[in-house]
Amino acid sequence: MESNKRYWKGLEEYKNTPDFVENSKNEFAEPLPIEDVLNEAGLSTVTPRRDFLKALGFGLGAVTLAACQTAPVHKSIPYLIKPEEVVPGIPNYYVSSYNGQSVLVKTREGRPIKIEPNPNAGAFNTGTDAQTQASVLDLYDVSKLKGPLLKDSAGALSDSNWAAIDQFVKAELTKAQASGKKIRIVSSSINSPSTIAVVADFIVAYPATKHVQYDAISYTGIIKANENSFGKPVVPKYNFDKADLVVSFGADFLGTWISGEEFTAQYVSNRDYKSLKSGKMSRHFQFETGMSLTGTNADTRVPIKLSEEGPALIALYNAITGAGLAGGSLPANVTADKALKLVGKELLQNKGKALVVSGSNDVSTQILVNAINSAIGSYGTTIDLDNPNKRYSGNDAEFAELTNEMNRGEVAAVLFLDSNPVYDVANTKAFTDGLAKVGLKISFSDRKDETSTLCDVVAINHNYLESWGDASAYEGNYSIVQPTINPVFNSRQAEESLLNWSNGPVKEYYQYVRNNWESKILPVLGKTWVDVLQTGVFAGTPKAAGTYTFGLSLAAVIPSIINNSKALAKEGQIELQVYQSVAMRDGKHANNAFLQELPDPVSKVTWDNYIALAPKFADKLGYKEFDIVSVKDDKGYTIDLPVLIQPGQAQGTASIALGYGRTKVGKAGDNVGKNAYPFVSFTNGTYKYATTVSLTATGGRDELAQTQTHHSFEGRNIIREATFTEYKKNPSAGSGNEHGKHKSYDLWDKYEKPGNNWVMAIDLNACTGCGSCIVACNVENNIPVVGKDEVRRRREMHWIRIDRYYSFNVEGEGHAAEGEHGTGINAVTKEKEIAHLDNLDNVSVVHQPMLCQHCDHAPCETVCPVLATVHSSDGLNHMAYNRCVGTRYCANNCPYKVRRFNWFNYWNDSRFDNYLNNEFTQLVLNPDVTTRSRGVMEKCSMCIQRIQGGKLKAKIEKRPLKDGDIKMACQEACSANAIIFGDGNDPNSEVSKALRSERIYYVLEEINVQPGVGYMTKIRNTDTTVQA
Amino acid sequence: MRNISLIVKRVWKSALVFAALSVLTVSATQAQDVVEGRKLFKENCSSCHQLTSNSTGPALTAKLNELDEAFAIKWIRNWKALVDAGDKQAIEATKFSPAEMSFFPRLTDVQIKSIIAYAKAGEPKKKEEAGAAATATDDGVSDFSVAGIIAIILLSIVVLVVLGRAIKMLERLILQKQGVVIVEDEAVSFAVGIKGLFKNKKFVFFFILCLAISLGSFGWMGMWNTGVHTGYQPVQPIKFSHELHAGVNQIDCQYCHAGAFKSKNATIPSSNVCMNCHKSVQATEKYDGQISPEIQKIYNALGYDPATQTYDKSKEKPVEWIRVHNLPDFAYFNHSQHVVVGEAAIRKEKGLKPNEPVCFACHGPVDTMPEIYQYSPLTMKWCINCHKDTKLEVKGNAYYDKIIETHERIKKGEKITPAALGGIECGKCHY
Repeated sequence: MESNKRYWKGLEEYKNTPDFVENSKNEFAEPLPIEDVLNEAGLSTVTPRRDFLKALGFGLGAVTLAACQTAPVHKSIPYLIKPEEVVPGIPNYYVSSYNGQSVLVKTREGRPIKIEPNPNAGAFNTGTDAQTQASVLDLYDVSKLKGPLLKDSAGALSDSNWAAIDQFVKAELTKAQASGKKIRIVSSSINSPSTIAVVADFIVAYPATKHVQYDAISYTGIIKANENSFGKPVVPKYNFDKADLVVSFGADFLGTWISGEEFTAQYVSNRDYKSLKSGKMSRHFQFETGMSLTGTNADTRVPIKLSEEGPALIALYNAITGAGLAGGSLPANVTADKALKLVGKELLQNKGKALVVSGSNDVSTQILVNAINSAIGSYGTTIDLDNPNKRYSGNDAEFAELTNEMNRGEVAAVLFLDSNPVYDVANTKAFTDGLAKVGLKISFSDRKDETSTLCDVVAINHNYLESWGDASAYEGNYSIVQPTINPVFNSRQAEESLLNWSNGPVKEYYQYVRNNWESKILPVLGKTWVDVLQTGVFAGTPKAAGTYTFGLSLAAVIPSIINNSKALAKEGQIELQVYQSVAMRDGKHANNAFLQELPDPVSKVTWDNYIALAPKFADKLGYKEFDIVSVKDDKGYTIDLPVLIQPGQAQGTASIALGYGRTKVGKAGDNVGKNAYPFVSFTNGTYKYATTVSLTATGGRDELAQTQTHHSFEGRNIIREATFTEYKKNPSAGSGNEHGKHKSYDLWDKYEKPGNNWVMAIDLNACTGCGSCIVACNVENNIPVVGKDEVRRRREMHWIRIDRYYSFNVEGEGHAAEGEHGTGINAVTKEKEIAHLDNLDNVSVVHQPMLCQHCDHAPCETVCPVLATVHSSDGLNHMAYNRCVGTRYCANNCPYKVRRFNWFNYWNDSRFDNYLNNEFTQLVLNPDVTTRSRGVMEKCSMCIQRIQGGKLKAKIEKRPLKDGDIKMACQEACSANAIIFGDGNDPNSEVSKALRSERIYYVLEEINVQPGVGYMTKIRNTDTTVQA
Repeated sequence: MRNISLIVKRVWKSALVFAALSVLTVSATQAQDVVEGRKLFKENCSSCHQLTSNSTGPALTAKLNELDEAFAIKWIRNWKALVDAGDKQAIEATKFSPAEMSFFPRLTDVQIKSIIAYAKAGEPKKKEEAGAAATATDDGVSDFSVAGIIAIILLSIVVLVVLGRAIKMLERLILQKQGVVIVEDEAVSFAVGIKGLFKNKKFVFFFILCLAISLGSFGWMGMWNTGVHTGYQPVQPIKFSHELHAGVNQIDCQYCHAGAFKSKNATIPSSNVCMNCHKSVQATEKYDGQISPEIQKIYNALGYDPATQTYDKSKEKPVEWIRVHNLPDFAYFNHSQHVVVGEAAIRKEKGLKPNEPVCFACHGPVDTMPEIYQYSPLTMKWCINCHKDTKLEVKGNAYYDKIIETHERIKKGEKITPAALGGIECGKCHY
């Protein structure tokens, strides 16, 4: 087994600090109180005998009494009138869509319990992200309002009814219309054709109305830039699948940028095992400040400061076009400078097959990006302006103007639809001051959130699982939203409220949507309404993507970019990037406990945001990890956050996640982290997510709840990787397979697997680490959320986790002479060289999903004293919860540390009041999976309920099982198809083929536990094809 | 006690009916018409018609009293012909309900007349009166008879005791006359005897041994049967009889337990399934023209008013059945797996007759259970034993083809049981 690289999960492990060495030997995060019990005082106490007898007597008596209890009487209450389509015990599936992703909603006995991607969606079937997977929990959120609210005579919001609200609102709207003042509907971007039509009808009824769209995370920069450059005010459709070379400047396109899951599917299609088999792999450069999910997946990642992004783009433009624009130099960042020259050359070589994207929301910057993309022939191939993405259409300037209008007292009524500006607007004070001057304030929020508490009417909206509706994520593509449960509370769909208030002919929204589709959409597609309800999504014939050439002058643009960057590079200030975290995004779903406990893909922090600093920079400032520092911007906004030392963060910069610090969202999400929205600034007509701050130490310390350093692998060879060049020479490069296997001896009998042999293959090249599989597994398998304190004690319950390993990727000493790994910025460092390195800025990352490996010779099975975990004849490691007595021997003996112990009854314990501690939320539980009790071990079961279900279906239909009949929850959710599951006994199954790949290796195969999960080596396309 | 009172009640009832019958003077021929008509009515009409209230069709007693008999006969035989012929009365009559009445071309005029006679006469009156008389005296009789029996027993005990005393006294007198002196020391000697017994070590050992064995076996049996509820027969909110429905009426199990062949749950039927029959089947004949109180419970649950045949949603109240077959939450059982996939194998193993449903294998002779009870122990041992013993019927199910191929190569000639295919591995039922 060759060990070519050294990996580490956290800085403590890398540096091998004495603390870490000490801690890694301990099983528990906290010392056990053994000393207290076994010390002299404990042993020499005088009372034992009598007390012992008393306790014994009581215990015996109690047990006897408990055993005398008669069996409980269970009631069985059938339907009075059973809906025809419901068979208790059999799920029904309905198509719907969430955030433009077409989904299947699984319902059991009429309640939605799981969201799955829609397999009929064709090109739309791109997996689901963590938000979509978690969204089912939002339906069962107890923090929602149970009925509409109306301001009473005392001025307080109190329970009301729809008739009273309609009467009040209609009268007030008529008054507002008559007053000659303005009426405003404020919403996040809406792409639903029916909702747009409803708003248009409302505007007809109240002509003083204007619809203002804004997004907490704005893409106005791109829209305005495209309007400026090509006369098309749109977010284009990006085709990452057509790009052999992707260069991103701060755009987290695999995570949070525009539509991460779609881009992941496209991007991975050029890098996964199928693509590698055909000898093709794209190349990806990432220039960014904070370590993003996309950055961790880049072949080459170059940290740059926020202030360097503009000059970097100018330099790239110069390199491609040969123009000599001023300002295109990065004197302080040699690596980036060198990398940009290389990128420029490669882009020219890949004309028409390359794509440059930028995460900036600055119009000038995006115009420059347009110019670069035009120069490398991206338009018509990798960028499609004619079938634009309609997810984001917010207009920052219009929204900023609304604040001014309100403050001038020009607005008589304002309606907040799917928006919460009091929380997520940059200048909260100006907004709330203005809001106070508005006569009628209506919110459609489902809870008393930051904005709705300041309103006169809270006309609570349905959850999307209770709603009718539609979406159009791309021009010409339509998907339907259909209800899967009757409204649980006395809510009313916002569109229906608007229809009621505008007194149109159709007041029922279902009828409205149907009319809208039947009159406008279906004739174009040639389909019927029933087709829509079955398929859920329709794509019209896309228009041919036109080629566009950037023909404008950059004269006005360049000075603006340079000024922006100068404004950020202030002496004595730290450049701060505020970004969306992969789990929390813009904070709309902050009350979703699944998302709060989803570890950040890079930092592995749960339940908090933090300020990320580079190791060297933190050292320089004198901060240690978890020190609480006070972050203050020049407007005077201050928050205290713990420091997280983040390798790969650009020097002189800091990053803080948005979406935290909600104060009125509900039980789980209130006061988790700090709100970073006020750091956003409004300049040059758009919102900017970069600013400068100063830091001061507070002296406090707050340990973040990280899952990162929970499990040390003691430097074992568990990640294997190779470069693309090596792979092309020898497909098994780096996998450890090239030298043949050792002869091995077994202590155990060989298990026969005469029927099926359930195995899994995981493609490390496809996995981006997004974490959607974790949430999918949580929902499918009733995995409890444990909360921040318990995560700190290493007690999170996730059955699948994604381990993140750092390694170096720098110009090592004495490296230039070695031809094998190339030279320059792309060189891979050998372990022996790491001793000489200390540049933690430039790290590369591997994500490794880790779940129960279902070992054939499972070490956990041999140590269980009660045979609660045993092997099955189809290759699975079974776990019988009712047999487990909780010795935890198995967890100790598991080399992969994938067994999780239930320290508490998380679903019925007031100390864990995050989500499941009430009967309503418990409706989200999957009835086919036991909820585990306190004192029981659990772990990945390979979704055995799905395996058994799939087998039974085949048996009833009297047919053999087909490959693909059974899918794991994690596999289904994965946009990248990184997880392949199936029958290893079927030589033609997808998984058998994958496991025959030369790249396959088994984690810790040297200990001969014979795992059932194979991993494919990580391949990096880092070799320089062009010499810098 | 309930049984005794029931027996007494029945005896009294029949005696009263007999008396009433002999007193009443009823024309024998007329009675014959009515009896024949009642039989025909039950066979042909009762699924849609009731005598006193509207059902799918109108209430017949009132309707036939107002109709001309000749028209009624024609209508019953083929109402459509009347309508087609343009009969105004017939066209008017079709307006009662959109549901179309069946044709009865095979009924003779005499038969139809009998039905009409029965419908006009209503349910035999004499029986009702007699029944009413019987019910009026019912409670008094049963109480009286119980008290009587108790009195007789008490009296006989008193007599026996008195006689015993008398005999003893007489014996004493005889002995005294013979000059025998009677020493009254029996009680003392008894106590001494007991004490002596406890000083006997052999006896004490034997006593303790017996105690230990009996307690031990009691404990052992108790523990084995903890949580085993064979024979569990709770009182259900509705006295539903499987004997009547599945036995006498031969209704297929799946008619009500529709999930059994599709899902893991056999499902308890929803009340609307009951209404398929019980909208018209009201067992009024057994309850003196009143709707059976048990059937009335279905109506109450649904908020159904049989008089107006309307449902009132606000009065809905689901029936809360007591679950008889309880598996713990951590055990997964799937009905369809057993009754669809495993049907042939289970039938063979359990030796079920062809006319018996496969359900009987575990649920026992449901068709003879007036009230349902748990027939099988439902213990894990019981499951496992069956999985070990039952030979799978794999022929004709292509699912097993591939599995069997591999399997048979390894285990030539061995019996293929669920256990051989992994059917007793923990995770197959516990997840």
